[in-house]
Amino acid sequence: MPNGLFWIVKVPDSAVEISPDGNTLTIHLENVPVVDAFRFPPPVPNNIAPDEINISPYQLIRARASFDITYSKTQGTARHIRPATDDPLSPLNWAGKMWDATNSGSFSVAYDDGTFSASGTFDSAGNFGEMGKERNGFFVRRDEEEDDGDAEAQAQQSQSSLLSLKPTQVSKLAASGIAKQPEKVVLLKERVPVKVSH
Amino acid sequence: MRSRLGYPLVLLILLLLFSVPLRPQIEPIANLKVLPIPLPGGDIFPPYGLYNQFFPGPPNQTPPFDPMNSDPHGITNFRGVTAMGYTSGPATDDSGNAYTVITDIRVYQGEYVGGETADPVNTAGATRSARARGTFVEI
Repeated sequence: MPNGLFWIVKVPDSAVEISPDGNTLTIHLENVPVVDAFRFPPPVPNNIAPDEINISPYQLIRARASFDITYSKTQGTARHIRPATDDPLSPLNWAGKMWDATNSGSFSVAYDDGTFSASGTFDSAGNFGEMGKERNGFFVRRDEEEDDGDAEAQAQQSQSSLLSLKPTQVSKLAASGIAKQPEKVVLLKERVPVKVSH
Repeated sequence: MRSRLGYPLVLLILLLLFSVPLRPQIEPIANLKVLPIPLPGGDIFPPYGLYNQFFPGPPNQTPPFDPMNSDPHGITNFRGVTAMGYTSGPATDDSGNAYTVITDIRVYQGEYVGGETADPVNTAGATRSARARGTFVEI
């Protein structure tokens, strides 16, 4: 994205509903403008010279996507995240209280030029997900004392102090990619080793 | 005498009274008054380079995830709710072809400190920090 944000769009607050107890979050969006990049990183056109790759490298097809998703916290999995470093580029420089979470949903997508459309469902069965409250950047140090009295997270962390090293929920099938799938596989994004559950 | 414009005028008024304004769902980020700032870190993935995002997940996977407690956010200076998860599922296209779709859709809602133009008249657009609130989705 020209703004440096990685495939992020701003949506109205009303697109998201969070239950009063904070245990579920649902999102409903229609006709969100997206691009189909085919794979990540997107393919580079054949007629581009090697030194032009970083100038205008990618073939993208404009499309519209609609989806509904519900995320649900897994009770008893709260963990208290503390910044483990001051390095602004580290993945561990943030704070929050997160729970493992499942999610499921449905989607439809169609190219703007009408040459392709598809729809389907998905769920997170066996794969990693999380939800909670977090703060990063400017808010990390400033609010660090905010969670100090949080008994639930502290109690659970004492029961499982190495939650970050919890045994994987992703199967060997996922670890080996998705080679056993008889169908075509479409990676909507990235290179995440996701367990395929159907 | 009844005006010839009366009927269309009534229709127009009724339309205005009962119409619901169509609002776009997406606000282009470039048009926001306070622009969110990308996470400074992220994964480096040649030949793409740095993309400002981590992929938290359990260890010992192929390809590997980032550490379990990696920041799931794509925006920095953010405080609020985050939800994310990796999924898979069946899909069918308009020709009846079957696919397995893998998703990683993340939701961020809360306040953030981003950049706004300090003085649009006398500068080229130089930023200053400013607070704002919003809901963002990474698709």
